[in-house]
Amino acid sequence: MKFGSFLLKRLLLSIFVIFGLSIVIFIIARVVPGDPARMALGPRAPEEVVQRLRQEMYLNKPLSEQYFYWIRGVLSGDFGRSLVTKRAVSEDIKEYLPATVELAIFAGILMVFFGILLGTLAARYKDTWVDNLIRILSYFGVAIPAFVAAIIFMLLFGYYWPILPVLGRLSSGISYPTRITGLLTLDSLIQRNFVAFWDAFKHLILPSVALSLAHIFQDARINRSAMVDNMRKDFLSAERGYGIPERVIMFKYLLKPSLIPTVSMMGMEFANIFANAFLVEMIFNWPGLSRYGINAMMSKDLVVISTVFVVFGAIFMVMNIIVDITLAFLDPRVRFSTSRGI
Amino acid sequence: MRNSNQPNNSIAISLVRPKSIFWINLGKNWYKFSRNKLSIVGLVIVAGMIISAILAPWIIPYPDHTGPFVDFENAMQPPSLQNLFGTDYIGRDIFSRVIFAFRGALIMAVVVLAIAVPPGILLGLIAGYSQNTWIDTIIMRITDVFLGVPPLMLALAIASVLEPNLMNSMIAISLTWWAWYARLVYGMASSVRNEYFVIAAHLTGASKFHILLREILPNCLSPVFTKMALDVGWVILIGASLSFVGLGEQPPTPALGQMVSDGAIYMPNLWWVIVFPALAIVLAILGFNLLGDGIRDMLEIGRD
Amino acid sequence: MKASNFVRFLRNGLFLVLVVSLVLILSCAGYTQQEVKVIRQTNTWPCYIDPAVGGDFTASVVYPNLYDSLVFPNPDGSVKPCLAKSWTVSGDGLAYTFELVPGVKFHNGDELTADDVVFSLERIMTIGEGYGYLFKGSVEEAKALEKYKVQFTLKKTFGPFLGALIRLYILNKSQVMENIQKKGPYGEFGDYGKGWLVSNDAGSGPYKVKEMKTMEYLLMEKFNDYWAGWENKDAPQYVKQIGTIEAVTVRTLMSRGELEITDQRQTSENFAALDQLPNVELVSFTNGEVLNMMLNNKKPPTDDIHFRKALAYSIDYQQIIDKVFPGSKPVSGPVAFDTPGCNLNLKLYKLDLVKAEEELKQSPYYGKLDQYPIDIIWPGGTKDREKVALMVQANVAKLGIKVNVVKMTWPAICDIVSKLETTPHAVLISIPPQYAEAGSMLMARYHSSSCGTFFQGEWLQNPEIDAMIEDAISTVDQKERFQKYNVIQEKIAELCPSIWINESAIKQAYRSDYVVFPAAEAIKQGKLHNPNTGYNFYFRDFKVNPEKAQPPYTPFKP
Repeated sequence: MKFGSFLLKRLLLSIFVIFGLSIVIFIIARVVPGDPARMALGPRAPEEVVQRLRQEMYLNKPLSEQYFYWIRGVLSGDFGRSLVTKRAVSEDIKEYLPATVELAIFAGILMVFFGILLGTLAARYKDTWVDNLIRILSYFGVAIPAFVAAIIFMLLFGYYWPILPVLGRLSSGISYPTRITGLLTLDSLIQRNFVAFWDAFKHLILPSVALSLAHIFQDARINRSAMVDNMRKDFLSAERGYGIPERVIMFKYLLKPSLIPTVSMMGMEFANIFANAFLVEMIFNWPGLSRYGINAMMSKDLVVISTVFVVFGAIFMVMNIIVDITLAFLDPRVRFSTSRGI
Repeated sequence: MRNSNQPNNSIAISLVRPKSIFWINLGKNWYKFSRNKLSIVGLVIVAGMIISAILAPWIIPYPDHTGPFVDFENAMQPPSLQNLFGTDYIGRDIFSRVIFAFRGALIMAVVVLAIAVPPGILLGLIAGYSQNTWIDTIIMRITDVFLGVPPLMLALAIASVLEPNLMNSMIAISLTWWAWYARLVYGMASSVRNEYFVIAAHLTGASKFHILLREILPNCLSPVFTKMALDVGWVILIGASLSFVGLGEQPPTPALGQMVSDGAIYMPNLWWVIVFPALAIVLAILGFNLLGDGIRDMLEIGRD
Repeated sequence: MKASNFVRFLRNGLFLVLVVSLVLILSCAGYTQQEVKVIRQTNTWPCYIDPAVGGDFTASVVYPNLYDSLVFPNPDGSVKPCLAKSWTVSGDGLAYTFELVPGVKFHNGDELTADDVVFSLERIMTIGEGYGYLFKGSVEEAKALEKYKVQFTLKKTFGPFLGALIRLYILNKSQVMENIQKKGPYGEFGDYGKGWLVSNDAGSGPYKVKEMKTMEYLLMEKFNDYWAGWENKDAPQYVKQIGTIEAVTVRTLMSRGELEITDQRQTSENFAALDQLPNVELVSFTNGEVLNMMLNNKKPPTDDIHFRKALAYSIDYQQIIDKVFPGSKPVSGPVAFDTPGCNLNLKLYKLDLVKAEEELKQSPYYGKLDQYPIDIIWPGGTKDREKVALMVQANVAKLGIKVNVVKMTWPAICDIVSKLETTPHAVLISIPPQYAEAGSMLMARYHSSSCGTFFQGEWLQNPEIDAMIEDAISTVDQKERFQKYNVIQEKIAELCPSIWINESAIKQAYRSDYVVFPAAEAIKQGKLHNPNTGYNFYFRDFKVNPEKAQPPYTPFKP
């Protein structure tokens, strides 16, 4: 029962946060000088047409009314029209969101898998060369920004060592599988189109690795220190006293409590993956929501900027809730207190 | 050390004056710091960066290359004795520009932290002290809003709707940064406020100001300092990301991210145009990370 | 590890190996097909395929392929019949009657009639974007006289009307009307089909849209029932416009044989590198496109003619042509020497800092220069223009003028030039002539109707010049018209509203081993190529023979 109310509180909080964000962004977007209707139609459009569009966009009404109409539109799925693609933003989002989600999921899988693996290895073999190597790598890895890693990969694999593709989601020779989820790897698997699957997979490798690199090492460090901290605790000596093999201790009894800080870190890191995706998508020409967002930012496409923001905010809200649920699952202490986050 | 069962006075004094304690225990603190060799490396890197940034206008070999300057004859030369890092596509010396860009990055980080940290700390203090009242709720909700989105994204969004220049990118980053400090201080303040010595001070008639600034604040400071040291690196990173996209220092003034993005076009033949600025970014972040870890080791108790 | 663990490990490993090899084998199975004729080209993005919306290079490449117009341009500037098999002009030059070719099919099977022509004209004039401005000022209306006969009535005589008519692309009226959205700013026409036309075409041209992935690429497919037939058997079956001009990407694609033609936006260094690749040739044409530094004539300090002239004298034109844009040509005024109707007698500006200083002394801003810094804006994607801006910045710093060099995206630039207050002091934009005559350049650049668009950042708004341009354009006799053009060009040169940097050399790198690029062939033989923007990429005339391709070559699978 406590858990249910905890969840409800979190949900309400997140919704409030999203609204707050949307207000901030909306104000910024509307305050910026420029006539959105004129910008959308071009300078040579006849004045009556622009007037009509202005009326449609409620530009003549006060700011608070405009916000109300915008929210109403957002809730019913009408986000307006993009200046750059000249299409409904909802269509654009439908097309580009799965690309970013696919990339983020891959990067996330890499981050979770390798982060925990490296952290556990380092803790297991603490103070040996394995540990030291991983620690040194971690220091460097964390310091390499995603866009630097991406550019270096571009250089290496685009030119010197062309074994992996560096552009887009599919090679130009291969056509997209019919869209079910929008995630190319999943769609092509469902339709047993292995050619497309392998190609899409290859295209995912470089961007996801570039994206997850810093986070893998960050997670490895947190995991390692959490495990090391826990290793000294009493319950471990008890288990060793019982003769339980080291490997079992490591993975079964130690991992779970050590995951608590790791998981909360990962939640934040996953959000950072989406943020870093902006630059990585730009470099690898990945047709995702982040690149769409960056294009909009650079072209002052305000409608899109606001919408992309709200969408990302909603994504983070969902992710934070998932992280909180996972934390509650892992650590019974959390369920019985009102947590205030990290 | 913070055992609330012990009598108040001694604890009150020892907790209230951490600064003097820091200098008194300098030897011990240095020992704690230097136990990890990597922290020393961090200190060296950071000290090197700061010194070269301060002395930049005097020590760089080609100071006018950081301003309006073209020299097509010398363009795109690989690293040599004359140009340690080579020249770029219009003939400017990359070594001078990298050092100068370091300077810009450090200045930006200092300004951003100076703008973002004090309000953040203040808000966190107020919220932590007036726990569970409406002030607390409002402040923390606003903080949650700003923390709901990763800093890079928010900074990008804000900077992109403003004019692209250094001041605006600093404003954008500051707007995203203050919330982290508010939350951090809030957490600490709300636990410290329940300590006996705070209640004692309240009972003896100390004003709210006094309690906030002289009782509670000093005890929240160590994680704040640690975070600040680490944050310099991250602010530099976000600044580089912003200038990579063109929002930040405008040409011809050099900025690390902008140099990386410019150089990308000339790859892979002119590798030096990208590699050196990128290394500079990595080095900066690395240095401050190591330093920050060392500071944490020094200031906090009970770590490995 | 214990024995059972080891066995388990082996079993898992074997399984993994089996799965991987199965996947690999299946993926190789796809590569034994007949080779498809395709042209893959990179281009700047976004690409607006709606003929009433786009007007830039990328759109102009796509239009002649997806759509037909009444007439088709020849390389020498004249036109030949296309959808109109013949036409007559009334005595006063105000009415043009066209006889259409019967039996022309649109891509969806409908037949092209005069109604479609009328609809297309009304649509482009109402929407007003893209090439609409060519017709708005001069065409009154179009009327369908019979099923295959349409009459255009002009407001006043328009000398180069037929030349401009190439830009009226004919859409299928019924198909567009079926796909309009009721909610839109065009009254009963709703959104006029703009939403649908973002990713579809309603044309009759030799190619039709197969797939339009808005941020990535446009795939066009051969329309086998094209009314003019397919004499050229080697024409490409598919044309793919790829939406990226990133240097590394383009070079990678070219070196892997995944690209037939590059875009024209690469830096000169990148073109030189591309030239080094095996079987890649570089072709360079000039088509009258002039690189302008458009100076805001109404904003201090560029509102002062002496200041502008001082700027004009501080540019090292020769070095720009030699080092930054090799292959480009000098230009003495707003119209390039190549364009028919250019005034060949104007004097060229040269780098002369002494003269610049003299001009500056006559300016009211002299002595207060640090209060008047100027911004030079350059569009993203044109890296070489940044070099020009930086050069100017360095040179005028010696005179005491402060310059800020700012990069902006193209849509942002289009936005700021739409209003006088936000138009920058200087912006580097290159403008090609819309049809092959000086008048198109003069009209587009200096007539007040183009203020607020990217064609004119000067806000010249000079009624005398306006009148002279309108008068010249309505002159039907060519010799007279050209004389009037000369006078206008002299006047404009005196006013020095802009700085004309050079005539751009448009470069492309392409695979010469298996692609016959008609424009490149023409250049090689010293003949004329088509100066109208985009018509060098009329893919119906290209020849692609993948069997002749040398490695590296990646076949295309639709």
